[in-house]
Amino acid sequence: MLLMCGGYAYLTANLPSRDIQNSTQPSFFPWVIVACMSLLSFALLVQGLLPYFNSEILNRSGIPAKRITIALVLAIAYMATLPWLGFVAANILLFAGLMYLYGEQRPIWVVVSSIVVSMTVFILFREIFQIRLTAGILEGLFR
Amino acid sequence: MSPDVLDGFFQATQFNTIIAVAIGCLVGLIVGMIPGLTISTGIIIVLPLTFVLEPEISIALLLGLYVSGMTGGSFSAILLNIPGTPSASATAIDGNPMAKGGEAGRALGIAIIASFVGGLFSFFCLFFISPILADIALQFKSPDLFSLMIFGLTIICSFAAKSLVKGLLAAVIGLAIITIGQDPMMGTQRFTFGQVNLTAGIHFLTALIGLFAIPQLVDNFADRNNGTEEGNATKIKSIFPKITDLKQMRLPVAIGSPIGSFLGILPGAGGPIAAFISYDYSKKLSKYPEEYGNGSPQGIAAPESANNAVTGGALIPMMTLGIPGDPVTAILIAALLIHGLVPGPLLFVENGEFAYGVIFSFFWANIFNIIIALVGLRFLVKVLTIPKTLLMPLIAILCVIGSYALRNNFFDVYVMFSFGLLGIIMRWLDMPIVPLLLAMVLGRQIEEHLRVSLIASKNDITIFFTSPFSLLFLCLAAASVFWSFWAEHKSKQGHKTTN
Repeated sequence: MLLMCGGYAYLTANLPSRDIQNSTQPSFFPWVIVACMSLLSFALLVQGLLPYFNSEILNRSGIPAKRITIALVLAIAYMATLPWLGFVAANILLFAGLMYLYGEQRPIWVVVSSIVVSMTVFILFREIFQIRLTAGILEGLFR
Repeated sequence: MSPDVLDGFFQATQFNTIIAVAIGCLVGLIVGMIPGLTISTGIIIVLPLTFVLEPEISIALLLGLYVSGMTGGSFSAILLNIPGTPSASATAIDGNPMAKGGEAGRALGIAIIASFVGGLFSFFCLFFISPILADIALQFKSPDLFSLMIFGLTIICSFAAKSLVKGLLAAVIGLAIITIGQDPMMGTQRFTFGQVNLTAGIHFLTALIGLFAIPQLVDNFADRNNGTEEGNATKIKSIFPKITDLKQMRLPVAIGSPIGSFLGILPGAGGPIAAFISYDYSKKLSKYPEEYGNGSPQGIAAPESANNAVTGGALIPMMTLGIPGDPVTAILIAALLIHGLVPGPLLFVENGEFAYGVIFSFFWANIFNIIIALVGLRFLVKVLTIPKTLLMPLIAILCVIGSYALRNNFFDVYVMFSFGLLGIIMRWLDMPIVPLLLAMVLGRQIEEHLRVSLIASKNDITIFFTSPFSLLFLCLAAASVFWSFWAEHKSKQGHKTTN
């Protein structure tokens, strides 16, 4: 938090100023935030060091780290390819990947549900709610 | 009677608005009863639809979802002993033992009727208190509004966090995020790094989708329950409570409704606190406290009336002061802003018809909530059998579409994902998300009122202490901070004594 505060303070110091009399500068409010953030970060540090505040230990044993890591990679890949693949193809892949990660073991069920649900959602939003979702590589199918 | 009241009633009673309320109630009951889905997530899912709807219809839909989501949470609490929403946790204490005793229908009926009474009570509070509070708030000047918002932030930090420092830190992070984009007074670019997409700042809704939905999707990885439990869902017989049940419900509902409405007005207190406090008071005042915990109808009625009464209470500060009482009302504020309507005292002056329309839509939401819940209960509980393997991926793609639909921009999808990561990190660090959210809603106004006050007073900060309203709010803010420290200290003392 202190590092974040330092970075924010550095950026605030580099903000442009305006020469207007009796007026606060654009950097005024960010400086107020820097002051509050540094004070609270320091308080958190003190709390972390003092045994009185440190009685509760956070339990993180139930976190499925492997599945979360795979989901993170999947999400990054999804966002990187979304503008190119479009909402139909990318959503099918994301849906199938997530179904698998949530524990679905039947491959045919994964394939069928991901295609049906993704197509239905796309058509619903694009045709009925008139939200301009791009179809990307499948644009030809939805003209 | 103001003509706006009648106009508002007619606006809320139009066919399209009524249908929107009914659909909202249906979706709310479904969302509320699914463990792992909160009302906020449910609202996020339907949010993209509201962009293309008229403002009164959008709000009617969201209000229906809000009211019924609270009731729906009790269904899974009673049938599966898994609260659908945090507000239904207290309902499970007596609801589930009653369901296990073969009286699931009776328990659900009591919960639905208590929810209705609580909701209706809060409607009357909303109807009578809001215009008065809005009139008072019209007298507020910039220093008063600044202090009021600081009070709103501190009180939400006091309630939402186990550690006040972490709560305040979350709020400060939220304030830092809203400084991205144009300076509200001079239009200077701040922290945009030359990115055109950041010029207008980070959209609150994009951040909200990421902060709420992504951590919830991650949390569900850890939960191996696939949502295929039928449990007591198939054993529902008679839903309508007996006359003796209705008689027994009078006291707990009379306790729960005002407690819920009052706590709803306080930002951050919310449904879970109201439900447990009402349960506790109802037990203390009951002639048969020993029955609590073993399937007592009173133990269901008290928390259920309280958590539904919270909904109307939370709408009071939202509509009159522009301060959200909980995450759902924060989303409602954002939904109003999208349609160019600014919640606050001026809403009653400039758009009185709309303001009363919202209030009457809330009334209809309570009416449809009880009708749909009682009539459709046997079908609705089948939702509990939907597998999580289908539900969670569906929520994920709806979140992406919701972020994109806001401005038809892929950048918002990336921002949503980044906020999702922030939400996960905050959850792991035991930092509350709600103060950050509230800071993002109020941040711009806080900065504006602070700077306007300082310009008006020629940089004299005593302006915040010379106005009686401002001084009162600052004193209340200080009191909430000290109370929170004291409560934290007492809690730690209690832990040490137990150990």
